[in-house]
Amino acid sequence: MSNATTGSSRQARPTTKNQSTKPATKRPPGARAPGAAAKKRAPGGRATAATKRPASSRGARQAPRSGAAPGRRAPARASFRSRHPVLTALVPVAIVVAVIATMVLLKATGGSSPGASHPATSADTGTTALPAGILASLSVPTATLDAVGSPASVVPPTAIGGNGAILRGADGKPVVTYIGAEYCPYCAAERWALAVALSRFGTFSHLSGTHSGSADVYPDTQTLSFYGSSYSSPYVDFQPVEEATNQQVGGTYQALQTPTAAQSSLMSTYDTAGSIPFLDIGNRYVITGASYSPQVLQGLSRQQIAAQLSDPSSPVAQAIDGTANDITAAITNVTGSQPSSVASSPAIAAIAKKLGA
Amino acid sequence: MAVAATARATTHPRLVRTWAMAASLALSLTALGIASYLTLTHYSDPAALACPDTGIVNCTLVTTSSWSVMLGIPVAVLGLVWAAVMTALTVPWAWRSSRPWVDRARLAVSGAGAAMVLYLVYVELFRIGAICLWCTAMHVTAVCLFGVVLAARVPAPPGDPGRSAG
Repeated sequence: MSNATTGSSRQARPTTKNQSTKPATKRPPGARAPGAAAKKRAPGGRATAATKRPASSRGARQAPRSGAAPGRRAPARASFRSRHPVLTALVPVAIVVAVIATMVLLKATGGSSPGASHPATSADTGTTALPAGILASLSVPTATLDAVGSPASVVPPTAIGGNGAILRGADGKPVVTYIGAEYCPYCAAERWALAVALSRFGTFSHLSGTHSGSADVYPDTQTLSFYGSSYSSPYVDFQPVEEATNQQVGGTYQALQTPTAAQSSLMSTYDTAGSIPFLDIGNRYVITGASYSPQVLQGLSRQQIAAQLSDPSSPVAQAIDGTANDITAAITNVTGSQPSSVASSPAIAAIAKKLGA
Repeated sequence: MAVAATARATTHPRLVRTWAMAASLALSLTALGIASYLTLTHYSDPAALACPDTGIVNCTLVTTSSWSVMLGIPVAVLGLVWAAVMTALTVPWAWRSSRPWVDRARLAVSGAGAAMVLYLVYVELFRIGAICLWCTAMHVTAVCLFGVVLAARVPAPPGDPGRSAG
């Protein structure tokens, strides 16, 4: 059921060519390789080897320090090796440990923050933790959201009838069900709006950054992933399902989560084409497919997208904030206009009325 | 030449310290256990990993990220294969083997493990932004194993009671 939106766009992942273009170093005929004299040393690098160094070698041209005899360092090194053979043997391990310690230090001092300003490149295939700045930007100011309203370019949720009971979770709160996948570019677009809308009702933690499939339509659309995240809200029960990653294994995307029987039932009832993303709001409103075109996000990093959310005139805000307003209004219609601070904002009140309670 | 010949004779793989044999096998078995657990959870429920979720430590985020698969093979499976090979190369029979390729393979495979650790630590810190405790345990084991293999190549002093003549 998860392939409808990306359909025939699946292709084999392009093979990364090994472009080893480093030319071979050419040496003039007769010239000796650097270190050739050292290779002449006796096995074990003993003192006798150093004394055999040719007079024309580099070390021999250097003036001896403090009257030391030329080549004195070599026997010293050999002596250290013979006195501490185990320590010498462990030098590679020390290098490994030093490199790891350096990376940890760089990380601790804030160097190269993951997910920061990720350009949309096919080489970047990882899921990263989101910087605090992006998380904060999901809480778009109410004035900005009201200014955006519900643009005509955004497809609103579909009301699915008001006779049935609102779908509620175990704690009695209306359930918002999202089913998507990390490779899906339409899900990539919809997640931004859903995250902005839900940020008005509660708090996300451990949201991660990801992007749509590199070999799919709208490749590498930068987005968030709900997988591994948690959401707490006194008003709604958010139940996200990310069915697959953006990485292909044997021609298919690696599976992540499977919808429950109840979620599958919702999807088969209201999304007969089985396309993703699928969003069900309290069993009163559904969204199948993206509410706006992922083209809006093409070529933008997550930080660039996040930065435009607070600019009501930007195409990104028109698309994401506009969709978020529609979702927000639908949610307030199933929460009994709670919280009132959200439901009473001019844009939300108008959209909620239009959607029909 | 006589000196060199003597040096080679003392590095004969049959003359290996007993502690190195025991330590390397213990580390290999530890790696095998950790890799088996990571592989099992990879194919069952990655979120079931016994691991705290305290922000920077997030096993699920690491083991389910896009980076958890290399060339279509889960990294957990690669780790399992590596640990199995290292176990085979560090059993007493392998240490006492007079075949030179066994010694070279042990060094190469343990070195490759250490190199892989560098790559995976980089990915965890700078690409995923989270650390997996089980993966870290595997990394520590791999680096220690590399160290033991290197240390074992140092010739034991003649008459060392702690060496095994096989």
